[in-house]
Amino acid sequence: MNPTINQKKKIGGWLFFLFSIMLFCAQMGYFFLQSRYNVEYTDNRIFYLINILILISLVLTIFLLFTVTKKWKMIIVSILVVLTLLLVGLMINHSKRINHIISISSDFKNVLVIKENRATGQASYYRTYYGIFARPKEMFPYRTIGEFKVKWLEKDIVAVTYKDSIHSIHQYIGTYGDRNEGSYSYVGPSIHGQWQTESVRLISDSEGITIDNNGEVEIYDWKNIVQFGTIAVVLMKNNEATLMNNNEAEWTIALNENFNSNSNAAIPPSGEITLYKATMDIIEPLTLVYEGEADAQPKQ
Amino acid sequence: MKKTILGAAFIIIISITIATFFFEQHPELTGPELNQRNEKLDTQEVKPPQPIPLQPIYIEDSIGYSLQNNQLQITYNKGMDWIVVPVDKVQLFAGEYNGNEQELIEKSYILTQNRATFLFSEGDRIKLIYSLNQGKTWEHTVVREEYLPIRFRKVAFLNESFGYVIISGDRTMSQEWNAVYLTKDGGKQWKETTHSNVTRLIYDGGFVDENTGFLSFGILNPVEPDLHVTQDGGNSWSPTVVTIPEKYHQIFVMAETPFKEEEHLAVHINQGPNGDYQGGKVKGKFISNDNGKTWEFSMEVLPNESDY
Repeated sequence: MNPTINQKKKIGGWLFFLFSIMLFCAQMGYFFLQSRYNVEYTDNRIFYLINILILISLVLTIFLLFTVTKKWKMIIVSILVVLTLLLVGLMINHSKRINHIISISSDFKNVLVIKENRATGQASYYRTYYGIFARPKEMFPYRTIGEFKVKWLEKDIVAVTYKDSIHSIHQYIGTYGDRNEGSYSYVGPSIHGQWQTESVRLISDSEGITIDNNGEVEIYDWKNIVQFGTIAVVLMKNNEATLMNNNEAEWTIALNENFNSNSNAAIPPSGEITLYKATMDIIEPLTLVYEGEADAQPKQ
Repeated sequence: MKKTILGAAFIIIISITIATFFFEQHPELTGPELNQRNEKLDTQEVKPPQPIPLQPIYIEDSIGYSLQNNQLQITYNKGMDWIVVPVDKVQLFAGEYNGNEQELIEKSYILTQNRATFLFSEGDRIKLIYSLNQGKTWEHTVVREEYLPIRFRKVAFLNESFGYVIISGDRTMSQEWNAVYLTKDGGKQWKETTHSNVTRLIYDGGFVDENTGFLSFGILNPVEPDLHVTQDGGNSWSPTVVTIPEKYHQIFVMAETPFKEEEHLAVHINQGPNGDYQGGKVKGKFISNDNGKTWEFSMEVLPNESDY
C-alpha cells in the first residue's frame, strides 16, 4: 500500500476518533447541564443525531486505523445499521410525542423555541443559548390544540398564534430585545396618541386602546391588555360567543425597531408600530404611523 | 493501542445506549416550574386561577350549584366534584334583575338528578342550556330569537318531554310583554303559544298537564286575583272565575301556580306584597272541579302548610 495514503488514513482515523470523543463528552456534558440547570437541546432530536454521528465516527475510526477482516467488517456495519435504525426509530417516536416549533429570525440572531406535549396540550416557551441549547422560560397559560402559526413581526418580536382546547384564539409573543436601553417600560402608555394606516386607526389613551378597523370600533381597557417583554402587547376580548367566559386574543401591537417613545422629553413618540390581527389565517401585519395626540380628534 | 481504542469505542457505545435509555425516560416536557424554583411564582401567575373550594347552594340532597369564581358550576356529590356550566354568569342575570347575583333567579333553572336546565339571554336571543346526563354534555336551544330585557322568567318540565318557559319583559310603567313557550321533545324545540292578550305584569304561571296551563297577573297593589287559563295547550286563553268569599275580598289577591290534587285542581291565593291579614302569610286555598275555569274557596292555609 502507498505509504502516504496509509498515513492519510491514520490521520483521518485519529481525527474521527477525536471527533467521536468530543461528541461523546458533549453528550455527557449535556446530561449534566440538563439535570443541573434544566438545559435542553433546542430540538430534542439533536440528541439522537449526535448519537448517530458518534457511532458513524467510531466505525470510521476502526476502519481507518486497523485492518479489519471482511467478516468483522460485516459484523461492525450490521451493528451500525441496527443501532442507527433504532435511534432513528426513537427519534420519530419522540417527534410524535413532542411537537417542536422552531423558527429563526431573519437576521439569524434569535430563535423561537416552543415544545408542545401533543398528548396533554401543554406547551413551553424556551429561551435559547448559543443556538442549540434552550431552557424552558414559561408554560403557556392555555392548553394548546392543533397548529401554531409563527410570524416574526420584527427581528426581535415573534407572534405565535394558536388555539386552546375550546378553540379560542390566543397569541403568545416572544420578545428578544427592548426599545429603551434596557429600562422597563409599559408599551400602552409609551404609544399614547393616535396611530394610523390606510384602513385602521389605533388610539391609546388613559382609558385603554381603541382600534377602529374600517369603521368597526373596539375598545380594550387596560385590564384586557397583556404585555410581553417590553415591546409588545396583546389585546384580549372576553368572547361571549364561546359561552365559556373565555378570553380570546384579538390583536398584537409590537413596537418597531425605529420606534422611540421619547418618554423623557415632552415630544411625541416617533417611528412606527405594528398591528397584527390574531387569526389562524395567513395575513400580513399592518404598519402604523404616529398621527398626533389622542385628543386631537374625537373618537369615532 | 488497538485495545485502548476498541475499549474506548466499546465504552462509548455502551454509554450512549444507557444515555439514550435515560433520555427516553426523561419527562415528556419540562416546564419551568418543575425544576426552577425561582421562576415558580412567575409561572403560577400565568396559569388560570385555581378554584377556591366552592360552597354549594343545595337544591336537593347532594345536588347543588355555586356562582363563585364568577361562573356557574354544579355538583352532584355534595361539592366533591364540580361541573362548570358553559354559560356566562352575566347572561343568567340579564334583563330586569336587581339581586346580588349570589343565587340563581328562582324558577329560572331546573337542577335534578335527570335534568339540569338554565334559562339565559345571549345577545339578542333567549336561550336554554340543558344537560340530561349530569353535565357530561350540554345542549343549547333558542327559546326566543328576539330579545327584550326580560323580567319574569320561569322554566319547568312536567315530564321528560313536555316543558314550558314563561318570560316577560320590556316593562313600561305597569305594562309589559309576556310569552309562553312549550316544548314536546324535551327542550330541543320551543313553540310560542297564542298570546293571552293581557299586558299586566305577570306574577306566576305554569302548566298542570300538556293542555292545561295558567298565567297569574298583577303584582302591584292587586285587589283580586287575575288568573287566566288555557285548556288547549296554549291555543286560547281565557280569564278564570275565582269566587272569593266576602270575608276575603281584597285579602287573597295573587294567585300562585295551580296544581293537581286528587281529582281536582287547587291553587293557593296569597295576600300580595301588602297583605296583613293574620300576619300576611296566610293563603287561601281554592279548588276547581272544571279543570281550572272556576274556583271555589276551600280553606285557609298557614304558611308551613302551603309548601307543595
